[in-house]
Amino acid sequence: MSADTVVIGAGLAGLTCALRLAEGGRKVAVVAAGAGSLHLGGATIDILGYDPGVVASPAAVLGPFIRAHPEHPYAQVPPSLWAGALEWLRARCEPLPLMGSMDQNLMLPTAAGALKPSAFAPESVAAGDLSTGGKVALVSFSALKDFYPKLAAANLNRAQPGSAERIEARAIELLGTVAGEADPGTLRLARAFEEAPFRAEVIARLEGRIEPGERVGFPAVLGLYRNPEVVAELAERIGAAVFEIPTLPPSVPGMRLHALLSRALKKARGRVVLGAPVVSSASYNGRLQSVSTDTGARRSSHEARHFVVATGGVSAGGVTLDSSWAFKESALDLPLDGVPPPGTERFCPDVFGSHPASQVGVAVDEEWRPLDAGGRVVYDNVRVCGATLAGAEPHREKSGNGISLVTGYAVADAILRS
Amino acid sequence: MKTVEAEVLVIGGGATGAGVLRDVCMRGYEGLLVERSDLAMGTSGRFHGLLHSGGRYAVKDPSSAKECMDENRVLRRIAADCIEDTSGYFVTTEKDDPSYSDLFIDGCLKTGIPVEEVSVSAALAAEPRLSPRISRVLQVPDAAVDAWKTVWGCVRSAQDHGGRALPYHKVTGILREDDRVLGAVAEDRAGDEVHIRAGFTINASGAWAASIASLAGCEGITILPGRGIMIAMGHRLVDTVINRCQMPTDGDILVPIRTVSVIGTTDEEASDPDDLAILQEEVDQMLDDGETLVPGFKQARALRVWAGVRPLFKDSKAEASSTRDVSRSHKLVDHRERDGVDGFLTITGGKFTTFRRMAEDTVDAMCAQLKGERACHTHEEPLPDSEERTYYTLGSRLSAREEALHDEQIICECELIGRRALENAMQRRGSFDLDDIRRTLRLGMGPCQGGFCIYRSAGILHSLQSMDAGTATTSLKDFLQERWKGLHPILYGDGLRQAKLDDWIFQGLLDVEHLPGRAGIKKAGGEKA
Repeated sequence: MSADTVVIGAGLAGLTCALRLAEGGRKVAVVAAGAGSLHLGGATIDILGYDPGVVASPAAVLGPFIRAHPEHPYAQVPPSLWAGALEWLRARCEPLPLMGSMDQNLMLPTAAGALKPSAFAPESVAAGDLSTGGKVALVSFSALKDFYPKLAAANLNRAQPGSAERIEARAIELLGTVAGEADPGTLRLARAFEEAPFRAEVIARLEGRIEPGERVGFPAVLGLYRNPEVVAELAERIGAAVFEIPTLPPSVPGMRLHALLSRALKKARGRVVLGAPVVSSASYNGRLQSVSTDTGARRSSHEARHFVVATGGVSAGGVTLDSSWAFKESALDLPLDGVPPPGTERFCPDVFGSHPASQVGVAVDEEWRPLDAGGRVVYDNVRVCGATLAGAEPHREKSGNGISLVTGYAVADAILRS
Repeated sequence: MKTVEAEVLVIGGGATGAGVLRDVCMRGYEGLLVERSDLAMGTSGRFHGLLHSGGRYAVKDPSSAKECMDENRVLRRIAADCIEDTSGYFVTTEKDDPSYSDLFIDGCLKTGIPVEEVSVSAALAAEPRLSPRISRVLQVPDAAVDAWKTVWGCVRSAQDHGGRALPYHKVTGILREDDRVLGAVAEDRAGDEVHIRAGFTINASGAWAASIASLAGCEGITILPGRGIMIAMGHRLVDTVINRCQMPTDGDILVPIRTVSVIGTTDEEASDPDDLAILQEEVDQMLDDGETLVPGFKQARALRVWAGVRPLFKDSKAEASSTRDVSRSHKLVDHRERDGVDGFLTITGGKFTTFRRMAEDTVDAMCAQLKGERACHTHEEPLPDSEERTYYTLGSRLSAREEALHDEQIICECELIGRRALENAMQRRGSFDLDDIRRTLRLGMGPCQGGFCIYRSAGILHSLQSMDAGTATTSLKDFLQERWKGLHPILYGDGLRQAKLDDWIFQGLLDVEHLPGRAGIKKAGGEKA
């Protein structure tokens, strides 16, 4: 198979890059080892949440942050590109509107009752913003084991955002089985919410239980693909604003965003092959010629003019560490940067600490091409984006999808210019 | 200040202390046990889980071997529900001296350990992951034993006989009047002092026994902590205990226990029994040793590494002071004979397998000092849940789970823990420490290392115990930190990837690291109601 660009990885970085290239008229193929890591996260676009204290405005902090962290992927992104990348995603997310801004982080309640700073979030999630306080009732089902509204509400009542407005949170637990099941997962519930009789039952059980001025928070299971309609109906019939809180993986909002971007990509004539890990590659004269994927049934070779590595970091399998303590970039065996020297600490004893090994990734030049230890470009026609890049701690900084979006966008930009 | 009274005070909540408490209570004394943290938190909860046949000592230490085999038989009778009857192989690998196996057979025959030769092909058929380069296989009645279940079983049995146990009560002083010990002073988890007045005090604090003895003014005892590391691999790489057929050394035993396989161990003299640091070289050595037994061992997921300390006894009042006096079999110190102090015994050393026998010897000595012989029955009466004398199997939880498949939430998928079992354990323990629940049920001990079940458990605990959110949050964060201690030195491969996914969940999704906990909370725990 031959394409203009082969993108390896179907997370936010890979899909962003591929979709933008396809929209630019390039023939694009996405090959991914798994189903794409958007399924794991809450679909919020976190730009920068902590530095190390809580960040109120990413726009205000980004400049100093980049100066303090010149190795961070954000430092490679031309400042002029940011607005375009964000507007681009906003437009693609029109069916599931993306709310928020670079100027002020939303403070979104988590399933544990923390307030997580996120710059952007799908409308149904952003509606839970508590940056200026408010009264919320968190509704869940006792049968759903992945969301505990009592704990979340109790923690929210302790976590005041610092404004004059207070948070008043309480829990409403709907007891019993869901659709006859004692142990339904989030996905099962999301499908149940797409059924009118189930919605009617939930609405009836909430009747008279919502106080004036209260917003009603649900675990993020309000419909799988018909989310806006489900949310609108619930809001109207309950008579209150309704929002969603992301749950443990698999994350329904993440699945919605993945489906939205994949559909757009297919519409733009991009190809997506999931369950196809890259197992080998061929290069000639400093250029990558092809990559081979293995779907278990057979091997396929993919030739292209450009290749993009968007395989994610350690959690997504883009970077591995073996039992002899060797780090490896899993798709093309690219050189890795930030590897702790042998005999030094890889992970520190504090679980939430800054671990030396967590910034391991691929270092790139200003064209996003991988560099070796001597600063030389490894392949002229390979570019790297997302969590595979060195120099970030996305979970600590709350920058995961932000890095994926802007670097995925920037890599597409570089390829379109070339 | 609170005052508690008992006829006999037992200091130390490991297997020895729990065994002593049970024995004391079964002989009709009113017993009370105090433990500085949770039960089986010291050496007993930190070994590989081998119920010795005695094979490991058959050549080197025949009397220990015989004692192990005797107690192996007793525990199979009284604690079957804590035992998986895995059997054990002693295999001669390419790195072992082939002549040792004849010595081994000879040693087994002399010490009464049933030993049988198994053909290499039959052994490989039974254990296909075992190295095909082995040249000889000898089978003995080794087994796997769940230490936490055994220790709790002893305490529950003692409670049935009127005994009490107080976890999270740290002894800070010994009450002594003239030449007589009259109990101890302990500090509970709130930091309050508890005076325990007792007619007789038994120091069963294992590796910590010297400092307790010294609180009573009995000096000159040294316990050399022999530190050893173990690694739990996230699969049943073998279903039979595998020993290298050689003089016992490092990394020569692999024990299948519950859902994991544990490789052990090393032996380094430590200076402090609480120093449980893990060294990189030890981890590497242990993984290499695993390869010798099971090729491809290093590709399996390493789940957790920990260190335990064996108490090795040394007494400066004994004639010679060289380390040759240090013995691995247990030591009972009668402080009346040694120091002229009445009402005080120290029991230390020994092995998990022989804890019941150690308890029997100790309580016999106590009875002798009290001049009132009472017969021991601990070898006759089964522990709670072991009445039917059936061993547990790897599939026990799965078969129980299958019966309730559609009726109940499963909270910990890795260890197949349903919501009812979790809530029962939480209620029974009355503890707000999820780590206590972990040891009771194996919560969060499977491949995901708590990634999914710990948020759920915190939510359930919070709602069940009507506790405040700060305490529940502290419990959640403490669990993650505690788990990380055993994880970070062995993070590679899928284990690392899992840890990063968990990181994504707890930091990226839930932002728990910024949730305030409860201020000034101590390591929590609960007295059994």
